[in-house]
Amino acid sequence: MAQFELDGKVFEVDGDGFLTTPEMWNEQVAISFAKSDGIEELSDKHWAVVKVIRKNFEEKGNAPMIRTICQETGLRLKEIYELFPLGPARGACRVAGLPKPDGCV
Amino acid sequence: MKNIDIQAKEKALDLLRDKSDTKLITHMNACVRCGLCADSCMYYLTFKEAKYIPAAKVAAVSSLYRRYCTFAGKVAPSLVNAKELNEEYAAEMVDLLFGSCTVCGRCVKHCSIGVDIAYVVKKGREMLATMDMVPATLQATVDAAINTGNNMAIPVEEFTDTIKWLEGDLIDEMENPEARIPLDEYDKELFYTLNPREPKFFPLSISAMAKVFYAAKASWTLSTKYYDVTNYGFFNSNTAEATQIAKNLYDEVHKLRGKKLILGECGHGSRANRWEGPNYLKKSYDFETLTAVELIGDYIRKGTITLDKSLNNEVFTIHDPCNLVRNGGMFKEIRFVVNSAVENLVEMNPYGNDNYCCGGGGGMLAMSEYNEGRLKTGKIKADQILATGAKVVITPCHNCVDQLLQLNHTYKMGVKIVTIAEIVADAIVKNNKNKTI
Ligand code: SF4
Ligand code: SF4
Repeated sequence: MAQFELDGKVFEVDGDGFLTTPEMWNEQVAISFAKSDGIEELSDKHWAVVKVIRKNFEEKGNAPMIRTICQETGLRLKEIYELFPLGPARGACRVAGLPKPDGCV
Repeated sequence: MKNIDIQAKEKALDLLRDKSDTKLITHMNACVRCGLCADSCMYYLTFKEAKYIPAAKVAAVSSLYRRYCTFAGKVAPSLVNAKELNEEYAAEMVDLLFGSCTVCGRCVKHCSIGVDIAYVVKKGREMLATMDMVPATLQATVDAAINTGNNMAIPVEEFTDTIKWLEGDLIDEMENPEARIPLDEYDKELFYTLNPREPKFFPLSISAMAKVFYAAKASWTLSTKYYDVTNYGFFNSNTAEATQIAKNLYDEVHKLRGKKLILGECGHGSRANRWEGPNYLKKSYDFETLTAVELIGDYIRKGTITLDKSLNNEVFTIHDPCNLVRNGGMFKEIRFVVNSAVENLVEMNPYGNDNYCCGGGGGMLAMSEYNEGRLKTGKIKADQILATGAKVVITPCHNCVDQLLQLNHTYKMGVKIVTIAEIVADAIVKNNKNKTI
């Protein structure tokens, strides 16, 4: 487990760089993760995706289906892949502070 | 360090004491330490440390065999390089057999005497699974499959909503209400399967395959409960769990009375269901089991679908999934389908049966613990792809797709990664109107 510090707070990430304590997530973490993925600035569209993911996680304890992300943000599938080049899991879910989903992602 | 339960340890050692496993005993003890396998392994090529040589992975298991199953090893262990199975040794085995081997089998093809190194590695994993030492993230993926029916724990309702959503789009695109994605329908010719990452995050390949089925006027269905083609029990090597997962799918095909089980694009899933499934369940399957690429190949040969290659006019290359090609015999079929669907194919070097693993096989993609090694060893694949000059990489395995996506980003390759269904769907000519769909 690696650690990093942001605004005086210490965060822990797993081997894939996902937060191990999702409840500690804040917008600064999102900005910093996004930067490390090559996203210099999070646009409104990025934030809309992140918020849907966060909300789903807080309510249901897991990442939303891509359908939910598309329908709740009004974005098209291809736009989401463009917004997060690493994809919805390694890209968007990580920025939103979720733990790494199981499976082939 | 995790404590090993005495009984579990004995059960693990029983796997080595089992005299009926003659394959294990032969292959484990046959290595002549010629070292020829070293350069075949991406772990050794990347890290250049002796412990990563495939033969050393065999030795990790055979040292225990000598210690517990041979006279010399019992009385003078150090003379015959026999090792004690203790906490420390088991932890090293985990790092070596789970964390530094994708069970790709490339070394097996290069071994001077044909030692099935990957088989021995999997036996070592089975010993570790018996002692409850499977890396947590890999085990979580297996647990999700056992507890929910799919390895991403997608609830049935959310799966159904996703498929309905995709179906709506397909009907709009095809301008035909017949362009359906049937769910839980009985007595269909084809029982199709998916990798759960498709409905969860990457559904374009589902739509692509649905287009192929639509063009072929196929009789097909998906199950809403057991559609998962993967079997991570094959990788954690817990036979009871692998058997349960294979059985769930087998029973579901029976329940819906499907005539043929069609394995979605997944390397290990194809192997685990098609070749290992009957071994797990100890019976031969009474329905036909085909991979998606063979089914598509059959459609092309019979003229059921017509493809126009000029619709795919970029430069393409193929990444051969280890479990479909080296360990699955699909080399020619993949070439046939791809060459029918694209104009310009450039092969990697090496390719086909000698191809390098993407780095994400063997359950590696699921194991966060070993992320760093996975991305480093993956550089071999990234360099291979870059050297082809291709703009699109085709691979019939969703696990490979994910690793390649990450390599694409890490090594700034600037390529697109697609499945076979996607390139075929893009090349389909609508039979009657000669209009592309
Ligand atoms: S199976 Fe593949 S990763 Fe494992 S030792 Fe052999 S070449 Fe290396
Ligand atoms: S090539 Fe085969 S015999 Fe030679 S060291 Fe490797 S495993 Fe042993």
